[in-house]
Amino acid sequence: MSAAVQILNGLNYILVLILVAMGLVIIFGLMNVINMAHGEFFLLGAYTVVLTSKMGLGFWVGFIFAPILVGLLGAILEAVLVRRLYHRILDTILATWGVSIVIKQGIILTFGPEGLMVKPPMPEMVTFAGISYPSYRLFIMGVALFVIAATFYLFLKTDFGLGARAVIANPNMAASLGINTRRMYLTTFSLGSAIAGLAGATMAPLMSCDPHMGLGFFIPAFLAILVGGASSLGGILVGGGVIGGAQNAISSVYSPVVAQIVVFSLAIIIIRMRPEGILGRKARD
Amino acid sequence: MLIPGIPRLLVLAFFLLLPFVGNLYLVNQFTLLLVYGMFAMSLSLLWGYVGLLCFGHAVFFGLGAYIMAMVTKQMIPGMDGILSSSLAGILAAVGFNALFALILGWFLFYGRLSGPYLGIVTLAISVLVERIFINWYYTGGYNGISSVPALSFAGWEFSDPRHLYLLVFVLSLCAYLFLRRVVNSPFGAIISAIKHNEARAESFGFHATKYKIKVFAIGASVAGLAGALFAAAAEFVSPTELGFKMSTEVLIWTALGGREGLIASFMGAVTVKLLENYLSEALSEYWVLIIGFIFLLSVIFFPQGLFGRLLENRNKGWSVTSPQRSKTKKEGRVC
Repeated sequence: MSAAVQILNGLNYILVLILVAMGLVIIFGLMNVINMAHGEFFLLGAYTVVLTSKMGLGFWVGFIFAPILVGLLGAILEAVLVRRLYHRILDTILATWGVSIVIKQGIILTFGPEGLMVKPPMPEMVTFAGISYPSYRLFIMGVALFVIAATFYLFLKTDFGLGARAVIANPNMAASLGINTRRMYLTTFSLGSAIAGLAGATMAPLMSCDPHMGLGFFIPAFLAILVGGASSLGGILVGGGVIGGAQNAISSVYSPVVAQIVVFSLAIIIIRMRPEGILGRKARD
Repeated sequence: MLIPGIPRLLVLAFFLLLPFVGNLYLVNQFTLLLVYGMFAMSLSLLWGYVGLLCFGHAVFFGLGAYIMAMVTKQMIPGMDGILSSSLAGILAAVGFNALFALILGWFLFYGRLSGPYLGIVTLAISVLVERIFINWYYTGGYNGISSVPALSFAGWEFSDPRHLYLLVFVLSLCAYLFLRRVVNSPFGAIISAIKHNEARAESFGFHATKYKIKVFAIGASVAGLAGALFAAAAEFVSPTELGFKMSTEVLIWTALGGREGLIASFMGAVTVKLLENYLSEALSEYWVLIIGFIFLLSVIFFPQGLFGRLLENRNKGWSVTSPQRSKTKKEGRVC
């Protein structure tokens, strides 16, 4: 494998990681809720594609449906569960964790514990300047970049984003100025979930889908948020780059296990040195 | 409750009388249940009493078990003779865990990790350590270490299950009394103050971070003791014991039993594990689904757990659901 392909693969992983982290961070930023079921939403996205491939509908139907289904599920979860726990914010992490256990076990019961493969939807290679690269991976990078850019646009340039930032700054003040915070929470939770579902769907053809893959993305995504700083959207770009880049570079030289150990130790040291994240500002206290 | 001590005495009497009434299968089963109960109590100390939500608590349990197994099987170079006895194994497990937790706590708590952040970082540690042990051939990789020697002290081997049970029972009781002493001491009052309002405790001159690190080390040591006893009682240890699955289980036991009480979380572990032993065969994979649902419902409707009210009579005003606490939680910094 040439160095250019390695770098492209690394970039691929980083972008998907940022996508997963993005869904987490918009929910956390707005609602202070850490959605522990986020990894399982990713899983559901991947298994939607597995299901549609099995049923003969093909990859693309699943790709379209995954974010819609998972987004809907997120909305239901917010309305039924998370909303009851706003006054006990630490318990939302437990409740969403319970949800993650139920979803994961549900997947095991329906699809079995073993890994399942999805037929690659775009098998052809693209050759450019002497490097041939799978076109599907380029497609993933395009999708990830588009969604990341769209999320930035949504939160920084639209009226919805202005309202959301007002809720982040001071929910009570925002509510008294006429912003429907309830609906904003619902939309955000659903949006964050949908992004996780989309990320899962895009990754499904690249890896064997097993019920534990959600955790494998949730933990690095969470570390990326910690490393980059949760206070700004830009932080996760840096965090995702650091965590994903280091993970890929080290596992290509040594092994994935060594990479995990090093990345994790690195993350802990960064957390110790800069608790507010690489990009984060000092806490105002 | 008319006489608050009665349910707790009943629990004590039940566990004391069990080996004289039950058959050997039951005694063996309950030896492990006591170990799990001790493990749950150590999580209750961290979570219920100090508010350190630890999603990867199994890492301490598993490390304790691995250290016990490696010491008593003479797998650690330079440790043989008296240094490979059961007592040395237990001391090594407890000591290593205390040290590990002190160092880890120094990194995490000075890094101002709290609340959900801390939970997920500990979860990540647990998953990482599990992966290390799966890939470490010296400790048996995925299969772990089997035929760990039974407990023996000064030549007296606990090969009779009833003796082993009584020993584990006495140690669990000691662990309970020790933890109760910790939470009821002036030190316990300070950690309780930190749990309810860290900024206020600090303004009274208590260095919250140092106290948290100390409690973290105490909780890790007790979990390590439970792990060491597990390795000796079950005679094996595998990466499952320090990974994601075990961390999930102990959290569910403690939450269902009642995180804010030592005996309540102990009974949570015993009850859930006992039900699992009998029901998981009939329900197979559905068991996890059902227990996940029950956990979910208990988080919403019974945050105090099933035994929280029954077995504990302490500080009613500070319960999970009291408006006073939830208010400070909402306004306090989460990250």
